[in-house]
Amino acid sequence: MTFLEYINGLLRKEIAKAKNLAIFGQNIAAGSYLGGLTKGLKVGAGSRIINSTNAENSLVGLGFGAALTGANAFFFMRQIDFLLLTADQLVNTYNIIRNRKEPLRGSFTIFTTAIDQGYEGPQSSLNNFSDFASLARIPIYAVNNEYDAKQIIKSELVAPGFRIIAVSTRYMRQALQSPKQILYESSDLTTFQYEKGSDVTIVCFNFSYPLGVSLVTALGAKGLRASFFNVNAFVSVDWSKIITDIIRTKKLVVIDDSKSVNAPYFSLLAAVESVVPLKKKVIITRTLDSDWLVPNPDSLEINNARIIKKLL
Amino acid sequence: MMAKLKINVDGRKREKNGKADFFLAEEIIRLRLSQMIVNEGFKAGRFKVPVHLAFGHEALAVAVSMAMRRDDKLVLTHRNIAYNMARVKPKPREKAALVLKRFLHEYLLRPSGLQGGRFGSMNLFTPDFGIPYTSSILGNQFPVGCGFALGDQLLRKECVVFISGGDGGIEEGAFWESALMARSMRLPVIFLIENNEWSMHTKIDERRTPINLEKFSESLGLTFLSLKGNDPYEYQKRLSALREKVSRSRIAACVETTVRTLGDWYSAPNAEYPEGKFVKYHTGASPSTVLSEWPIMKEDKDDPLFVLKDFFGERRLKQVAKRQFYALKKVML
Repeated sequence: MTFLEYINGLLRKEIAKAKNLAIFGQNIAAGSYLGGLTKGLKVGAGSRIINSTNAENSLVGLGFGAALTGANAFFFMRQIDFLLLTADQLVNTYNIIRNRKEPLRGSFTIFTTAIDQGYEGPQSSLNNFSDFASLARIPIYAVNNEYDAKQIIKSELVAPGFRIIAVSTRYMRQALQSPKQILYESSDLTTFQYEKGSDVTIVCFNFSYPLGVSLVTALGAKGLRASFFNVNAFVSVDWSKIITDIIRTKKLVVIDDSKSVNAPYFSLLAAVESVVPLKKKVIITRTLDSDWLVPNPDSLEINNARIIKKLL
Repeated sequence: MMAKLKINVDGRKREKNGKADFFLAEEIIRLRLSQMIVNEGFKAGRFKVPVHLAFGHEALAVAVSMAMRRDDKLVLTHRNIAYNMARVKPKPREKAALVLKRFLHEYLLRPSGLQGGRFGSMNLFTPDFGIPYTSSILGNQFPVGCGFALGDQLLRKECVVFISGGDGGIEEGAFWESALMARSMRLPVIFLIENNEWSMHTKIDERRTPINLEKFSESLGLTFLSLKGNDPYEYQKRLSALREKVSRSRIAACVETTVRTLGDWYSAPNAEYPEGKFVKYHTGASPSTVLSEWPIMKEDKDDPLFVLKDFFGERRLKQVAKRQFYALKKVML
């Protein structure tokens, strides 16, 4: 099963259960159904599926307004680039909503994708969800694998409040990644732990989970055991579980495939370094050369052998 | 004017034969005097938050409030004071001064304010009175208002959403997007565009080409209504009829109201401006506006109080204004 088929199945299941729901977005019930993402969606009586206008900022306002009445709104936004058009609603309207005495009764979720499959060119290569989250401390979840997708979509797709759920287009046609085990998940679904070891702590951000899996495997082949965490959110993450692990291993590898210079791992590093001196610290992130806006593979490449050498 | 009017007041039917309902006149006077008392607070430097007074907007505010049905909603802008005051009416046996006090306390950011002092003026909304959202960002309120209409449809509520905006706000893309969205999604929305000709300190002809809202509405298939002259009875009658039409047809409407925001003044004369420089009232205090027993500000149809004289005569209006003046003045800061 591909990641796309799996996500589509989860969406269909959760959307069919929801009441008083409006699903909207461009081409969500026509054509390719957003490349198959929204194919086969069905809503109950009284709910609506709307092939909407191309007006992202207003569609976000529409969702907030509907949620303020107590109804549920779900906006399929084709790609993160269009989120740039919505900054007014994301910040100003969300701030009003949070300043009210009463919490938001309805649900408003934006579901979007990072166009990170490569060769898209200068206008469709943004994958900086942390920058959007930072604008107004917006809860954004990056979904990476079978388990976190299930947990996040089941819990957050239609639930009181507002959030953005994001997936990577790069993953969509690939086989579904299924973790061997789940050792920990935070109650707010911001952090998941998949491995526990005493030699090094690996923490992945944005859509770096597969890179973390490959590093764990490579370390294992060398007889090294790693703890492996994936951080699925960008703000308001409680680092205590990860820090406790790092206190034990004293070695940290951070992998972040986003292009942001406003990365959540800065906050992790600041928190870690205030409590434990690290013996080894390896930060793997994007290095963008002068041609970074020219169409290119647009992915973070890691060299596991070199990382292991640095750790030893 | 002697007219037979059937007016819906908070769900109760009032019928007056031979004379216009005096309640609207009393409300317009209450709104004018209440704003003047806020203005006095500003002149005295009592508020830290900016307040955009709406002298001259009272007839429209009262008419909209009266045209609203029980579950209807009104979504507002930074210049929301007249609408909020029109909706937050004193309950039976409640003193109007106590209502005004809650506004003043909100502007003072006190917990006893209308929203617990959490919003001040530019974002003041009053959900218990049908105003669930107010935005200080031009154009931001249009799509959120459409969202209320969509949400209420999903919740199977029969209601119409009135969304206020101005001739500045319609320059934002969100207005176009929302009008298109409301029409395409069949949302029962009325866009209330107050054309006071000014956006801060520039007139329309100083900043853009004219926008013909009638043709704009026609192009999208929206119902269009033009209101001029500050006749609150005419406004209410036409808005109520429009509200029924929008509710029934699910075809959104656009209302353009010609309004003059009063309170302009001239700065002290200087070498550059020997006569004093004209200042268009936008926000804060209006130094030229003085609280008085008879709060008329302009002797023409730009002032809704002047228009009321045609209905009831100045003597009767002055009596009511004087009574309200002394009642409201008790809470003056």
